[in-house]
Amino acid sequence: MTTSQAAISARNLTLTLGSDAAPVEILRGIDLEIAQGETVALLGPSGSGKSSLMAVLSGLERASGGKLTVAGQDFAAMDEDALAHARRGHIGIVLQAFHLLPTMTALENVATPMELSGETDAQERARAELEAVGLGHRLDHYPQQLSGGEQQRVAIARAIASRPELIFADEPTGNLDAATGHEIVELLFARRAETGATLLVITHDPELAEHCERVLTLGDGRIATDTRA
Amino acid sequence: MTRPGMSWATAWRIARRDLHARFRGLRLLLVCLFLGTGALAAIGTLTSAIERELESNGRQFLGGDLQIELWQRGLTAEERTALEQYGVVSSGTRMQAMARVDAKAAPIELKAVDAAYPLYGDLVLSDGRTVGPPAQGEAWLAPGAADRLGVAPGDTILIGTETVRVGGLIADEPDRLGEGFQLGPTIIVDEDLPRRAGLIAPGSMYQSKTRVRFAGTPDPADVADELKDRYPDAGFDIDTAERAAPGTDRFVDRMGEFLTLVGLAALVIAGIGIGGGVTSYLDARRQGIATLKILGATSRDIARIYALQITAATLAGSFAGMAAGVALVPLLARALDGLLPVSAGLVIAPGPLLLALAYGLLVALVFAAPPLLRARHYPAMALMRARVAPLARDRAALVVVGGGLSAIVALALLTAEQPMLSGGFLAGAAVLLGLLALLGLGIRNLAASLPRPRNPIARNALANLHRPGSSTGALVTALGFGLSAFVLLAAVQSAIDGNIEKRVPAQAPDYFVLDIPRDRVTDFEAIIRDADPQANWRTVPAMRGSVLAFGPQNAMTRTSDLEEIPDGAWPLRGERGLTYADQVPEGNTVTKGQWWGPAYAGEPLVSIDEEFAEAAGLEIGDMLTFGVLGVEKEARIASYRRIDWESMGFNYVFVLSPNALADVPHNLAGTIELSDGTPTAPLLQALVGAFPSASVIEVGGVLGQARIILEQVGLATLAAASVAVLAGLAVLLGAIAAARAARTYDTVVLRVLGADRRQILTMQLIEYAVLAAALAIVALAVGSFTGWLVITQLFEFDWLPDWGVVLAVLGIGLAVVLAFAIGASLPLLRAKPAQALRAL
Repeated sequence: MTTSQAAISARNLTLTLGSDAAPVEILRGIDLEIAQGETVALLGPSGSGKSSLMAVLSGLERASGGKLTVAGQDFAAMDEDALAHARRGHIGIVLQAFHLLPTMTALENVATPMELSGETDAQERARAELEAVGLGHRLDHYPQQLSGGEQQRVAIARAIASRPELIFADEPTGNLDAATGHEIVELLFARRAETGATLLVITHDPELAEHCERVLTLGDGRIATDTRA
Repeated sequence: MTRPGMSWATAWRIARRDLHARFRGLRLLLVCLFLGTGALAAIGTLTSAIERELESNGRQFLGGDLQIELWQRGLTAEERTALEQYGVVSSGTRMQAMARVDAKAAPIELKAVDAAYPLYGDLVLSDGRTVGPPAQGEAWLAPGAADRLGVAPGDTILIGTETVRVGGLIADEPDRLGEGFQLGPTIIVDEDLPRRAGLIAPGSMYQSKTRVRFAGTPDPADVADELKDRYPDAGFDIDTAERAAPGTDRFVDRMGEFLTLVGLAALVIAGIGIGGGVTSYLDARRQGIATLKILGATSRDIARIYALQITAATLAGSFAGMAAGVALVPLLARALDGLLPVSAGLVIAPGPLLLALAYGLLVALVFAAPPLLRARHYPAMALMRARVAPLARDRAALVVVGGGLSAIVALALLTAEQPMLSGGFLAGAAVLLGLLALLGLGIRNLAASLPRPRNPIARNALANLHRPGSSTGALVTALGFGLSAFVLLAAVQSAIDGNIEKRVPAQAPDYFVLDIPRDRVTDFEAIIRDADPQANWRTVPAMRGSVLAFGPQNAMTRTSDLEEIPDGAWPLRGERGLTYADQVPEGNTVTKGQWWGPAYAGEPLVSIDEEFAEAAGLEIGDMLTFGVLGVEKEARIASYRRIDWESMGFNYVFVLSPNALADVPHNLAGTIELSDGTPTAPLLQALVGAFPSASVIEVGGVLGQARIILEQVGLATLAAASVAVLAGLAVLLGAIAAARAARTYDTVVLRVLGADRRQILTMQLIEYAVLAAALAIVALAVGSFTGWLVITQLFEFDWLPDWGVVLAVLGIGLAVVLAFAIGASLPLLRAKPAQALRAL
């Protein structure tokens, strides 16, 4: 696989947090190539740096060192606002606690990232995506009027509606019961398959990991294992 | 099974543990209480210090237990005998005069005193001697007079036609405060000097002051009433020791009223801040409260823990405020030096301090109780719930708030000098709070009913205005009070400046000259022409008299029968300047009736000020009876005049036809306006040499004094109103900080979704710009109205705000709000999305 085909290309990626006096090395030199359209599960014990790696790869956090190219863009050279612009339309993110905007309806929540990128048909696409995740009848509901499973469906719709090249999901079933979690996993992978996006999912759930073509295990800030199905 | 509740000791242990870590969260509560209690403590201490000073030194300030002032005459033998039955009597005179040494001349306040002076206190000279009146041929000079004349003890000076030796310089004049506004430095001489020096002659402008030191302990007010009853038409102007310095008294009263309002305003604003501060403090503790509940704490335990924390912060803020208030008083006393009888030392007045503390605690109770009682109901499951779910109101809060408010109102009414004023203000503040609450509701409803913008940033900004748990209500109240305080400050300050400009005119005569003998007016004119051929001058007959009776010819009211002088009818009080003229005086316009012609010889007529006519209910054709030098003079009202009081010249409420007063012994008063660059010293010297009994007043010096007094009033107002503005700012900051906490979540999510910093800032600006624009109009109305009340009703000045300045200051206020809003967002914008996400 060549770099030009890679959705994500990381070389010696490091992340150090904390003060200068007491720095904490979170990522200690990550080398990683993820191909376009690949589905990857990221496993590892708590504190191994999974969420931090996802934050760096999705542009929520700048790496302290190393090289990082995501969707053809050099993330290492970008400032906060450039990273924000890079996320728009290219990267979708699903978080464990859903993190929907409480003042917006389901439809508005899904439309927001597209509207931020200035897309004029954002509402129509958001409506279509919500119908695709089975929430066509909940368009005008506010997050607090939705169940946990429904909120996570809205979050998935929000991440996918703009047809991003990359989808990141951090413990997407962590706040849900087993049955609902199963539905959400099915939905997430079905929607990804339809769009052909690259998916990186952080999980402790072996069933979820089994859905992925590749499983990475993180330990002590480094990639410990890299297994392909 | 019921479980015993947590003990207070345990609650305090937990409260203290939490407080150590999170005391910063209560900063707004601390600042608001500090400002509110500090303002009240300072105001109370200052007022108490003044009262104490007046009470303990009132007799010394007045120079006796009671004083009778009269113009152009002393007491008759009979009147003096009547006064002597109450105790030791001391008499003397006060007048404007000129003192000369060779080529130097200076206008002075001549104070002639008898052997009994001073009845109270000590007259101390700069060499340390405690003295009585100077011996004949000697004088005690205020240092200002000695400086002006360039003399020292042992030198001689000329007063009128008499040469006197400087016997010493005055270090402490015990009755200085009671003497009131002076046009020159004091020179104290023996009682007979004015007569020997030719300064007292029929028609001369002088004032006699006769004081008595009571032998027993009669009530001075009763004695004053007895004397007025016995001599109703004598024209006595009687002061008693409780009102030792009438000018100071009036000023203190007005300042006191103003300061009370400022204190109450600071209190109300502080209350809003306390409410906001406690709400956001407890909101930030939701998770902690939920965790405590999971661990077994009951609602009552929660209430105890947080009540203890808030009480600790309340006491800390209140005590710090009290200390600051006490420390502020010497600074205020220094700023108002000469206006207030307060020494610049530290004063600890327990009463006002306790009152300030009581207000602080009650306000904290009223505004902190609702969020505190609500917090008891944070469910243990709050850890799992959506963060915006609002809690139901707690009915118990109504009881606490109602009780606390009743206590505040009772305290305000019971301790106020003017309960109506304080009550009215509190009612006004309550109405304003209600209106702002309605406005907040209106904005929320309007924002909710507007079509939702397609732009997510504008949509979220609009949603922030009406979302459940939105801080619109708190922001509207804080912005309303905060911006109103800005407008009030600008309106009051610029109106005071306007009054200074108006009352201290740029165009004014250079000199007033009193007691020009009327048969020597041509000499007077010749001297001025010699000094400056281009000079303008004017002379008018000058005498003083009191209105003894007024009204329709057959139903006249005796002034002495009035229980109270009607508002605006101040010329009925005491003796007033009288003049006569053939022509309508310069700067006056006849607005009703007819002016008598030249060489009028019919029934004596009088023309009066139209405002006085209205205030006293007088009509054209009514009669006025004047008491002039012990003789009654009657005149019929022929016309009303509008007087341009701003022209710094001779303005008389009463102008009579010449035949009404020409037979009364009197002198002339004159104004002189020199052309630019004319040297003044030769004219002054020539005038004093030719008219030794006349006195010359330099208008520049008078204007300077008037300006200083008005500027001191302005400074005091600024200092006091700044407290309200500071409290307003603190509340604004607190409200914006609280709102920021509520926005954090949205901001972080929006950033994760790709919003950049400019978009987030735009969102904040849209929200605050909508609120600020709505509140700017409210603030302009509320601030201007309150300013109008302060200026016209309390200070009795003219309403002359500079609207340019007011709007500019309001603009600054709005800019401050937007700057705060942006400033509050910066930490969030600087944080990396991943960091912010972890902190959610």
